[in-house]
Amino acid sequence: MSTTDRLELSRLIHRFGFGPKPGEYAALLASGITNARQSVLNPPAIDAGAASVTPPTLTDLGDYPPQKSAALADFQKARQGQILATQLWWLDRMAKSDHALQERMTWFWHGHWATAVGKVQYALPMYNQNHVLRNIALGNFKDQARAMIIDSAMLFWLDGNSNTAKSPNENLAREFMELFTLGVGSYTETDIQAIAKGLTGYRTVRSAGTVTFNEKQHYAQPISFLGTTGTFDALGVSDYITSLPANAQYIPHRMWYRFISSTAPLLDQSVYSAFANRDIHTLVLTLGSSSAMRNPTYSQVKSPVEWFVSVCRALAITPSALPINSNVVRYLATMGQEPINPPNVGGWPADEAWINISSAQTRLAFSQYLLQQAKFDSLTAVAPGDARINALADLLGVAQFSERTKSVLRTALSDPKQMVLIAINSPDYVVNA
Amino acid sequence: MDTLSRRKFLQLMGVSSAGAIATQLSIADIVHAGQTRPLPTGTPILVVVTLYGGNDGLNTVIPHTDPIYKASRPGIYVPDSQLIPLDSELALNGTMSGFKALWDAGDLAIVRGVGYPTPDLSHFTSMAIWQSASPDESQRTGWIGRWLDTQSHDPMQAIGLGSVLPPLLVGENEVGSVLPLGGLLIPTGTTSYELHKLGVKDPSDGPLQAAAATAINDLLGLSKNLTPILKMPAPQPDDLPTQAGGSFGSDSSLSQQLDIIAKLIAAQAPTKVWAVSLGGFDTHADEVKGQSALLGTVSSAISRFMSQMHGSNRQNDVIVMVHSEFGRRVAANGTQGTDHGTAGPVFVIGNGVDGGKFYGDQPSLSKLVDGNLAVTTDFRDIYATLIEDVLKVPAEQVIPGWKTKLPLLLA
Repeated sequence: MSTTDRLELSRLIHRFGFGPKPGEYAALLASGITNARQSVLNPPAIDAGAASVTPPTLTDLGDYPPQKSAALADFQKARQGQILATQLWWLDRMAKSDHALQERMTWFWHGHWATAVGKVQYALPMYNQNHVLRNIALGNFKDQARAMIIDSAMLFWLDGNSNTAKSPNENLAREFMELFTLGVGSYTETDIQAIAKGLTGYRTVRSAGTVTFNEKQHYAQPISFLGTTGTFDALGVSDYITSLPANAQYIPHRMWYRFISSTAPLLDQSVYSAFANRDIHTLVLTLGSSSAMRNPTYSQVKSPVEWFVSVCRALAITPSALPINSNVVRYLATMGQEPINPPNVGGWPADEAWINISSAQTRLAFSQYLLQQAKFDSLTAVAPGDARINALADLLGVAQFSERTKSVLRTALSDPKQMVLIAINSPDYVVNA
Repeated sequence: MDTLSRRKFLQLMGVSSAGAIATQLSIADIVHAGQTRPLPTGTPILVVVTLYGGNDGLNTVIPHTDPIYKASRPGIYVPDSQLIPLDSELALNGTMSGFKALWDAGDLAIVRGVGYPTPDLSHFTSMAIWQSASPDESQRTGWIGRWLDTQSHDPMQAIGLGSVLPPLLVGENEVGSVLPLGGLLIPTGTTSYELHKLGVKDPSDGPLQAAAATAINDLLGLSKNLTPILKMPAPQPDDLPTQAGGSFGSDSSLSQQLDIIAKLIAAQAPTKVWAVSLGGFDTHADEVKGQSALLGTVSSAISRFMSQMHGSNRQNDVIVMVHSEFGRRVAANGTQGTDHGTAGPVFVIGNGVDGGKFYGDQPSLSKLVDGNLAVTTDFRDIYATLIEDVLKVPAEQVIPGWKTKLPLLLA
C-alpha cells in the first residue's frame, strides 16, 4: 500500500464517515483503494449498527407553564431531558452505524440548514428535522429544500412562523438564499422582500412540530423576483430558486468547503457538473473520488463532534452509555459544537477555528472522561513496540504518525490507554492529514 | 465567486494566510509575562465589545420625541416610562442605567448613525466588513490583526475570550490568542508520558498540524502562568452604586468574559487589546423583552468592569468600544420585531473619553433609504481614532488611505 493510498483512505473514512471501527481501516486497505472508495461512498440499504440505536421518546410538551407555577420545574426537566436524549441518540447513531456516510451527510446538512434548539426550545421539531435531513441526505437537493422551507423547526428558527401577508418578515427569505441555496451576491434586497411575501402563511405549533398553511395569511398577489413573476407559495419559491444556475454552483462549493478544503477554491468543473440534476449522491461520489482526495495540501481539522465520534467508533464507546452522559454534551458545548444547537444560522466554523489552547485543554479532559469506557483489546494483542504504534495508526485511521508523535507514544508503549490518550490529542489525529 | 472570500473570512472565524498560522503563539517568552514585563501603568488598553446579530440602535439610543419613532414601530417602541432621557431628543433604553451613570460622569461618548457606504444587510458580510475594517471583498485580515502586524511578535498582545478566534484578531503575519472562559487547568494525570512533546512541531507538519502543536505547547506554557491569576477573586468594583449591577448583571457570559479580563489587567498582563462578545441581537421577533434584557447586560457588565478598572488603578488606561454589525429596520415587521437594517450607534467608554456627548448626526426618520436609516458616520473614523489615539500607530498603517478621525478622546 502506498502512503498516498493510506492518506486517501484516511480522508475517505473520516470525511465521508466518522472514522473507522476496529479493523475497518486495515480491511479496506487490503481490499485496494478502488474498492475502498466504492465501499465508503455507497451505503448499504440496511445498517444494523444504526438500527440498534433506540430513538428517543419524545412527546408534545405543550406550552410553557406560567412563570413561577409549580408545573414549571417539571416541564423544564422534561423539556431538557428530551433535548439531551435527542442529542445522545444522534451521537449514538454516528458512533454505532456500520456505515457512517448517511450520518455524516445528515451532520453536514444539519450544519448547512443550521437550526438551533436554543431558540426552538423543543426537541420534537428538531428530531423531525433531523429525520427529514437523514432521509434526503443523499437524495435530491430540490426535495431537501422543499422540506426545509416549511420545516417546523426552521419556520420557528427564522421567524417564518409569524410571517404574514400584511407585514412580511424577511429572515427566512434572506437566509434561504444567502446561506442555503444561492450564496451571497446572487440576489438583491428587492428579491428578499418579494420572496418574504411568497413565504407568508405557514404556521407551526413548535411543541408538536406540526405545520399548517393558512391561506388567509398568505400573500396571494403576484410577486417578482430573480427574473420571474407570478403567484408563489413556499414550495414554488423553493423550486424556482433551486432551479437557478447559482444553486448548481453553490452547493458543490459548500460541499467542497466542508469535505476537501475551506481555503482553496473549487475549480474542478466535473464536480459542478455532477450536481447538474441536484442529485446529492452523484455529487458525493464525484467529490469523494476526485484527485483532490490525494492532494497532500488539503488537510482538514476535525470539528469537535467529528473528533469525538471518531474516537468513539475506534474504541467501541457508546456515547449515551458513558457515566453521567450529559457530560458528553457539556464537553462538546465547551469546545463550541453542541449538536442541534449551532451558534448561528451560518452553522459552525471550520479548520483553524477549532485549534486553540482552549480546545486543546478541553480535548484532554474530554479524552480522560471517554477512555473510562474504551476497549483496548486490539492494542494489547500486539507486542509493545513500533508494531503497537502501527496497530494504533490503523485502529484510528491515521495515515501516518509523525516522528514527534511516535516519540511520545514510545514513552507509553506498555500502557495502551495512555497511548490512545496521546494519539487522539496529537496534531496527527486532531488534523485529518 | 469573489464574494465567497468575504464569507469565508467570517465563517472560518479567524483564518488568514498560512504564514500567520505558522508563527502564532510561541508562548515560551511569555511565561510569567505579567511578572517579568508587566504592562506599565499608563499604557492604553482597548476592549472591543461585539454585539452579534445586529443590535436595534433605535431601541438603544431612542429618538423618543420624534413622532415617527412610535408611529413606525407600534408594539415594539420603548414607552416613555422605560426611557432614560439624555437630552430633549434622545434617550437610552431604560435598562441602561449603568451607561447613564457613565454618561453623566463624562465617560461615555455615543457616536450616532454609524455604518459604511452601500450597507450590506447580510450578517456575515456586514460583520466581515466591520471586523476587517474594509468594505473591500478581498481584504482577508482583521483590523486589530493588522495592528498586530505593526508590533513585535507577542501572543499576549491581543486576546479574545471564548472558544474561537474572532476574525478581527487575524493579521497577515501575526494572530491574536484565545482564552477560554473556564480557565486553563491541565487535567491531572495527563501530563505524564511527556505529553508536552506533542507541542513540538514536526518537519512533516502542514500548517494545520503545526498550529495544533503550537496550541498544545501554549496550553502547557500558559496554564502555568495564568492559572494562579484566574484563580484569584475578581477585582472589586470600588465605586459602583449597588443597583447598577443588579437584575441583569448576574452570570451573563459578557460579565464572565469581562471578569477574566479584569483579573488579567489587575495582574498586569502585557495585553493591549481584548475582544469580547455577546450574541442574541438578531431580534426579528418578540424584540422588546429580549433586546432590553441584552442591553441591560451590556450596560451593567461594562459599568461594573469600568468600576473594577478604577479599583485596579487602570481607570485612565482602559477604553471600551461597543459595536454591532448593523442596526435594524425603522419600521417594525409583523412579528413584533425588526428586520436587518443599516446605521446604528457605537459606544466609546473610558475616563480618557470626551464623553457625555454625541458625535455624528442622528439619522433622520423622515429621510430613509429603502426603509433604512442613512449612515452619517463611517465606522472607520472611530477605528482610526482608536488606532492612533489608543494603540498609538498611524491609522493608515492599519486602514490604508483612511485619514479622518473623531475627537473622541481627551487630549
